[in-house]
Amino acid sequence: MSIKEKLKKILVEELNLEDMTPEEIVDDAPLFGDGLGLDSLDAVELVVLVQKHFGVEIKDMDEGRPALQSVNSLAAFIEAKSAT
Amino acid sequence: MPKNEENSRHWSSRSVGAPWQHRFFYGLIRLGGRRAAYFFLHFVAAYYMLFRPDQRRRCDFYLRRRFPGASQLELLSHEWRMILSLGRVLIDRAIVGILGSDSVQVSLDGKAELLELLAEQKGLILMGAHVGCWQTAMSALNFLQVPVSLLMQREAGDVDRHFFEHAGIPFPFRIIDPSGYLGGTLEMLGVLKRGEVLSVMGDRLRGSERNATAVGFLGGTVRLPFGAYKLAAATGAPIAVLLSAKTGADAYRIRLAGVIRVPPEGGRRETGFAPFAGEFVSILEDYVREYPYQFFNFYDLWESDLSSEKASASNYSKE
Repeated sequence: MSIKEKLKKILVEELNLEDMTPEEIVDDAPLFGDGLGLDSLDAVELVVLVQKHFGVEIKDMDEGRPALQSVNSLAAFIEAKSAT
Repeated sequence: MPKNEENSRHWSSRSVGAPWQHRFFYGLIRLGGRRAAYFFLHFVAAYYMLFRPDQRRRCDFYLRRRFPGASQLELLSHEWRMILSLGRVLIDRAIVGILGSDSVQVSLDGKAELLELLAEQKGLILMGAHVGCWQTAMSALNFLQVPVSLLMQREAGDVDRHFFEHAGIPFPFRIIDPSGYLGGTLEMLGVLKRGEVLSVMGDRLRGSERNATAVGFLGGTVRLPFGAYKLAAATGAPIAVLLSAKTGADAYRIRLAGVIRVPPEGGRRETGFAPFAGEFVSILEDYVREYPYQFFNFYDLWESDLSSEKASASNYSKE
């Protein structure tokens, strides 16, 4: 399973994206607000889930803001961090 | 929209006084000190009691809950004492900035415990409430020797000044703006991950109702924010409930009133965090029993009207 697929599965199953399947999540859709509809506290949950499932830590706002834009950006961040 | 969320949206923490009134008191403090300012405060309090019933009645949302059997006359007496209490706290806050921190004696109970909590190196969440004078609590935190970040949104156009503004010094804490990107949650998470201190208020919901949980407070239901509990669950940071109270003309007591620990599985949605918000509210209830006139939330926090609760209780007793 690719990072993106795993991320989508986590979003649906662990962040309770009701009425959505992993396949329906568009790679470039914004994670927060009008996109997937996640809120600020979901961001906290997502940071924890990324660490739990990928062993990658999002330390602060400087890292988090660009990484948490979409599935694409988050997957790229995880990939880059895993490689270092 | 739930009733208390609607109320909090229509209510502003901005001072009701005009800029010249604030400047008058600042001048009075410089010329005559605390005694002069406290003396003139009685005239201001009398003005609000007699000519601004709209403002005076803002005390009643809380006072009717705190003193459920109070007659109209007793309620007036409670209002008077609460307005004076708020005025004195505001004057003290200005005094610390204008005359120096030595002009107010601050004692802190729980210093060793706070250092122990910080030594766990998971960060520390200081949870306060709009009681006493939270600025005095903040001014007593130098001993922690780690950066302190404060979640704070200032009302646009507020003329009331904080102690550091009077003293002309930079704000001693880092401010996290809750209206910033993702409500400042990533910044708060960063603070805790670095093992630093994050200060939040646990008694006022100023955002989405989605991030609130329902708990019982003074006989009714209030909805309180659960963001801090979620951050605690995510980082393992303990929550230290730190409340300040005015205990004398120039004395404040800050007390570590309790420690709340949220396990990682503390919950994802509102109901999962209700027990922890309940712990906080229980501490707050103890506080208002001891200091009934130092609870400064002047809007209706409660989900239902007191009159309708009484009516339903009365109907129930007739059945």
